[in-house]
Amino acid sequence: MASQREKNIESAGAIRPPNRFVTFAFWLTIGFLYLPLAWLVVQAFLNDPANLASGFTLRWLEALFASDALWEPLMNSLIIGIAAATLATVVGTLGAVGFGPFSTFMPPGLHALIVLPIMIPEVITGLSLLLFFLLFQFELGMGTVILAHASFSASFVYFIMVEQLRKLDPNLGEAAYDLGARPGQIFWKVILPNIIPGIMGGWLLSFTISFDDFLISFFTSGAGLVTLPLKIYSLMRIGFSPELNAMSLVMVALSTGLVLLLWSREQSRKWVISGS
Amino acid sequence: MKVEVKRLVLRLRDWPPSAWIFFAWLVCLSLLPFLIIFAMSFAVRSPGGDIAWTFTLANYERAFHLVYLRVLTKTVFLSAGATLTCLLVGFPVAYYLARASHAQRQIGLILLFIPFWTNFILRIYGIVSIFGNHGLLNQLLMRWGLVDTPVEILYTRAGVYLGLVYNYLPFLVVPLFSALEKFDLSLREAAMDLGANRWQTFTRVLLPNVKEGVAVGSLFVFIPMMGEYVIPDLLGGAKEVFLGKVMVEQFFTMHDWPFGSALASILSLGLVLAVWLRMSLERTRSQTTSS
Repeated sequence: MASQREKNIESAGAIRPPNRFVTFAFWLTIGFLYLPLAWLVVQAFLNDPANLASGFTLRWLEALFASDALWEPLMNSLIIGIAAATLATVVGTLGAVGFGPFSTFMPPGLHALIVLPIMIPEVITGLSLLLFFLLFQFELGMGTVILAHASFSASFVYFIMVEQLRKLDPNLGEAAYDLGARPGQIFWKVILPNIIPGIMGGWLLSFTISFDDFLISFFTSGAGLVTLPLKIYSLMRIGFSPELNAMSLVMVALSTGLVLLLWSREQSRKWVISGS
Repeated sequence: MKVEVKRLVLRLRDWPPSAWIFFAWLVCLSLLPFLIIFAMSFAVRSPGGDIAWTFTLANYERAFHLVYLRVLTKTVFLSAGATLTCLLVGFPVAYYLARASHAQRQIGLILLFIPFWTNFILRIYGIVSIFGNHGLLNQLLMRWGLVDTPVEILYTRAGVYLGLVYNYLPFLVVPLFSALEKFDLSLREAAMDLGANRWQTFTRVLLPNVKEGVAVGSLFVFIPMMGEYVIPDLLGGAKEVFLGKVMVEQFFTMHDWPFGSALASILSLGLVLAVWLRMSLERTRSQTTSS
């Protein structure tokens, strides 16, 4: 029903494409959104970042790659991202396997609980997790940041996996059983290969969220732990430097690569638009 | 069959272990922290700096004192202005996407969202490097001889406003887009056939049909905006007050967690209201379509 209606609208749209004013407004907005990031990229290559006419150079990037300023935060971000994404994927997938078959009959309260981490503004998530960690005397550091990132990414994974499991033929397990497969074999050889795309999509989404996150890391990391976004923030507080520009370039490149990767996967594509 | 399944999920002892693990995870790491904040908002900070777990409404009372009311009104005005701007800018963007061909739409949506998956701090830094005193804009203005001293855009209220609009625009385009996408284009044609001009068609046919979706979408942008901490902190300068900034400062600078928690609870309550509005809107919509 709904899809038919969508088709109608789509064909109507194709017959009468958006007019010139709307098209112009769209591209102008896109230009406005990209200008700051594009300028950051350009700046990283300028001899004098404050002077457009000073000529291009690679020396800032070379200096950055040679210094520790990049590598330690980058390693921390990678470790946190990988650990948080793995944890979130395991928990979210377990949730989808457990609740998935009932997801359409779920009581509203339970549904709200699963959506809660996605809905709450980041500031409140960060502050509430900080209070939680402090009250229960967790030592702030890499462990708490990983838990914090995984805590809300698990819900994203859950929704991706519910969708993935729905596509699974319910007779698949039964067929394998009839053909003599043991329960372990059914899972590892029949079910798992079929849900791997969802698992990878969910993992990648969680990793990207963790890698780009600033606010929650800022609240839950305590003193001493520096991730890439935290490093950029502290450099920015000190003032502008060629080092900061070069690091921005690295970060823009990594993030853009991750989004495009997410977008290229059917399972995580939808969340690129509505999530973050 | 369906009834059977329904009964199954309602009976707790039938939940598989995997469901329990996920449930426990959600309760521990998202519900419990949230409840802690809520409980903390009724506590007080004793003179020694410890938290005294009492039940008092003093923190809420304090949130409505004149000083904080001023913060609140400033925040509401600034956020409402930014939301309105997002609506005005976002509407043609969403309209373009709703009318575009499938391929154009896919490319348009990903283009719109790539910047928002780059790190938040970088976007702020990008804005500073364009609009700051030594930014690209001022460089060009001075080179062309239009101004002698840099125009101060950032570290004022305008800076916060700019940052809010820049960071929230796509999140308003999405609900606008989905409302416009559901709008039946034949209605527009019917209105035109019946002699309505473009403006009349827009205000009397299109807007009434999308207004609810737009209103709720705006609320979902407006409320998180009020909780923003980094944008007013980095783009607004020291003098600009903002609800989110005041809230975070209660935790980190003033060490008055109970009062900070009260502010956070008020903000969350606003969001719960928005969720409830959207859910009841969806319910009425599904009822009207099914009957």
